[in-house]
Amino acid sequence: MQEATFLILTALAAGTQHGYGIISDVADISGGRVKLLPGTLYTALDRLRADGLITVDREEVVDNRLRRYYRLTEEGAKRLAAEADRLHAHATAALRRLRPNLAGGMA
Amino acid sequence: MSEPMMNANESSGLERGYRRLLAWYPRSFRRENEEEILAVLMACAQDGQTRPSLEAALDLLKGAVRMRLRPRPGQPRTVFAAARLMCLAALVELAAVLTMAATAGTVMAALARSDPAAVSASHARMIANEVAAPLVIAVWLYLAWAVSRRRDPARIAVAAFFGLITMSLLAALSAGAPLYTPAVFGLGAAQWFVALVSLVLVFTPASNRFFRPAEPVPA
Repeated sequence: MQEATFLILTALAAGTQHGYGIISDVADISGGRVKLLPGTLYTALDRLRADGLITVDREEVVDNRLRRYYRLTEEGAKRLAAEADRLHAHATAALRRLRPNLAGGMA
Repeated sequence: MSEPMMNANESSGLERGYRRLLAWYPRSFRRENEEEILAVLMACAQDGQTRPSLEAALDLLKGAVRMRLRPRPGQPRTVFAAARLMCLAALVELAAVLTMAATAGTVMAALARSDPAAVSASHARMIANEVAAPLVIAVWLYLAWAVSRRRDPARIAVAAFFGLITMSLLAALSAGAPLYTPAVFGLGAAQWFVALVSLVLVFTPASNRFFRPAEPVPA
């Protein structure tokens, strides 16, 4: 799973969001490191919808502009959980191996 | 978050710029997403911005390319793969004709030594190949376009065109070296194989359902 995809799903894991909301949420989650641009966001959303990982929750018109809210599907939540577990396992392994070395270096 | 305030001129100039970029996306994607993306783009705009930023413009164009490389909504993988293979066949034909043009001098010189009587006929044949190549490329690209857009007769055209390619490959085989160098012949064979696979793909059951949806069962 690409990082942008992972972060978009993570943004939606907290509840429904519209496009602009996802962009600012992803910036928050990544500590400002990942700035999604609209072209990247919407090609990713298109793919995620086609794969059934997200779906349109509702549409609203705000200031004459369409605003669509997306939410995670059950399948999307499952995939995100699996990916988070995988990344967590890798990160834990990395830290476990680094720690003795770091401790040894200090001594 | 609310949109930054801007005057009507700035806003409409910027919006026009974004619409020009969104025009590169496939129609089905625009119908579904254009207004919404535009809303997000305008919400991300800086105060007083009158033109799309280079960063956003490149990102939009990259997205357009990516969307055009994806299957269209409702299109089975078989048809998508067949259309891509037809574009590949066009590329292979282009490579073949370029190779042929690049080696034409050496080939004709070799022919003049080995079989002087055949030179003018071979020369005519080579010219015919070079004239036909753009047509072949155009036909492949047209067929790729037509099958992706569910044109059923295009499948028959693919079958007919495959027949034509088979015959021209056999003709090339019989003419043989030195008129056709191994590279050109290899490219011809590659094109034939790609054509065969795309022909099979457009007639698979999944493709049949795409080209003829809900066909009544014959009594």
